Amino acid sequence: MTTEASIFRLENVTKRFGDIVALDNISLAVDQNEYVSLLGPSGSGKTVLLRTIAGFDVPDQGSIEVMGRDVTHLPAHLRGIGFVFQNFALFPHLTVSDNVAFGLRNRAEPASADEISTRVNDVIKLVGLEGLEGRGIGQISGGQKQRVALARTLVTEPKLILLDEPLGALDANLRSRMRNELRAIRERLGVTFLHVTGSETEALAMGDRVVVLDHGRIAQFDAPDTVYGKPASPNVAMFLNRYNLFEGEIAGTVFKSELGELAFKKRTDAHKPAYAIRYDRVVVDSESAGKGDPGFSASFVASEYLGSSIMYFFEAAGGKVIEVEHHLSNGAPKTYEAKKTYRLRWKPEDAIVFG
Amino acid sequence: MTTPVKSSSRTAWWLIAPGAIWMILFLVVPLLMILYVSFWTQTTFKIEPILTLRSWQQFFASDTYLSSLWTTVRIWLIVLATTFIIGYPTALFVGLFLKSKTLSTVLLVICVIPFWTSFLIRVLAWRPMLGKEGAINIVLQYLGIVDHPIEALLFTELSVIIGMTQIYCVFMVGPIAFMLGRIDPNIIEAARDLGAGFWRIFRKIIFPLSLPGVVVGAIFVSVMVLGEFATASALSGRKVNLLGNIIVTQVGSLKWALASVVGVILTVIMGIVISLFLRIVDLRREL
Repeated sequence: MTTEASIFRLENVTKRFGDIVALDNISLAVDQNEYVSLLGPSGSGKTVLLRTIAGFDVPDQGSIEVMGRDVTHLPAHLRGIGFVFQNFALFPHLTVSDNVAFGLRNRAEPASADEISTRVNDVIKLVGLEGLEGRGIGQISGGQKQRVALARTLVTEPKLILLDEPLGALDANLRSRMRNELRAIRERLGVTFLHVTGSETEALAMGDRVVVLDHGRIAQFDAPDTVYGKPASPNVAMFLNRYNLFEGEIAGTVFKSELGELAFKKRTDAHKPAYAIRYDRVVVDSESAGKGDPGFSASFVASEYLGSSIMYFFEAAGGKVIEVEHHLSNGAPKTYEAKKTYRLRWKPEDAIVFG
Repeated sequence: MTTPVKSSSRTAWWLIAPGAIWMILFLVVPLLMILYVSFWTQTTFKIEPILTLRSWQQFFASDTYLSSLWTTVRIWLIVLATTFIIGYPTALFVGLFLKSKTLSTVLLVICVIPFWTSFLIRVLAWRPMLGKEGAINIVLQYLGIVDHPIEALLFTELSVIIGMTQIYCVFMVGPIAFMLGRIDPNIIEAARDLGAGFWRIFRKIIFPLSLPGVVVGAIFVSVMVLGEFATASALSGRKVNLLGNIIVTQVGSLKWALASVVGVILTVIMGIVISLFLRIVDLRREL
């Protein structure tokens, strides 16, 4: 990947707050015209990373390049980066169109009045806010606020836009609609979006590529299907919320876990050993069946209907909860008896072993 | 469906009944009484309920009374300006620039500490500060900045303004700091990210958002300064006569009718001032 192709590039960026290392030696390059989502649990440093790229925080070590230019010590507004805040951070006393026009009117070299009104009208049309130009911020809905926040940044024509949990303040319905719209707007403009989120479904659905952040380090940077199918570490598998994880150690061709020896085929290098099996790869059987496959006995606890699938919760030895997902397209759901013991098993090639 | 709402709202009205009765008995009725008494006939030793315009004519024909009206307005405007000029930057520091909420609360409490003593002590404490042989003159002479003590410091309009500014400044700082403290720091960062410099951000974002606080503070200061008499009589050596001082002397010599005239005029001025301030911002929307 050459410098020219990347919209921005971090080299060994480290940021500390007192004793806490928020960003630990991060190197990352993102292409132009790309939608990258940044996934991490709270406290993983994702907001700090975004603020460091934006220029609100200065890294202790390392350098930041935007479009081939070193911006490590440049203030935020000179970096040519747009920022969409988590709670939108709109100017509450200004109208929709004054909010959008703010950047053009108040920067060091303001644009002419004609240019401002043309560009503001264009971007208002682009995000679908026509007819609301004169409304106050208190008089529009959450989804409309989201659009104003986006329009306010887009109007300054940045090549890179950073979005800090932009859908977090919206209700579920609106969130899925805005997902499509964010992608559509980005494709039309050909800019790069770096979208921070704590939701694994959102990260996988929106990103052309997904960065997974873990304790201030980049755990994985891959296409969504690779992240989902081949998580790079036990923690990534855990963030995805789709894997049962077992601790233990590798002993030759088997994995010695707290629930007995489990067979496997694939192995991924990682710092700490773990055995992972996807929720939807686990088969529930009668206690005596399928002894050839890896698996163990567990008692049924409860189920949860999700519409397109059902989640079953089992309790294995030591109180460990095992989740099993049954896609309803694979046949009608089975009913299990509470507290009865079943055998949970899977094919050894479906398991991922780290270590 | 409407019945329970209606009956509950009717119950709700009873909640304000005690307050309303209290205010009508002890505020509205006395105010109307003052208006009525201002038209009574006043002779040297008694006052009779015979309606006349004598006291009103007496007020507007007298240079002394008119000049005290003017003094009141002038001192009010000056103190309003000084409390704003001193108070706004203070509020900006406490409400916006201090990152620690604990520290800004501590500072606001410190501002209120003078109120733990009585009003009169706070006013009189300025005398040993400002007097001819007071603290300020001693220090200035010791440092060799002046040869002779500055006499203009005490028993002048200046001393009244200094005293009032100190006493009422906190009423300006409080509401402004409160409004500034409510500004989301992300809004300021967003404005900076969009390329606005500090003065732009202050003019377009911070000041407009703090304006309701300025208006509330200005109303507090105005109402208190317009009704003032104690600071003027304690620090001006009776040279500065505010409308409040006239009421005190007239009541003292049992001239109820003229005192009522001044009271009505003062109330009207306060009404005008408050309604003008409320025109600047729509407080219902902002608070």
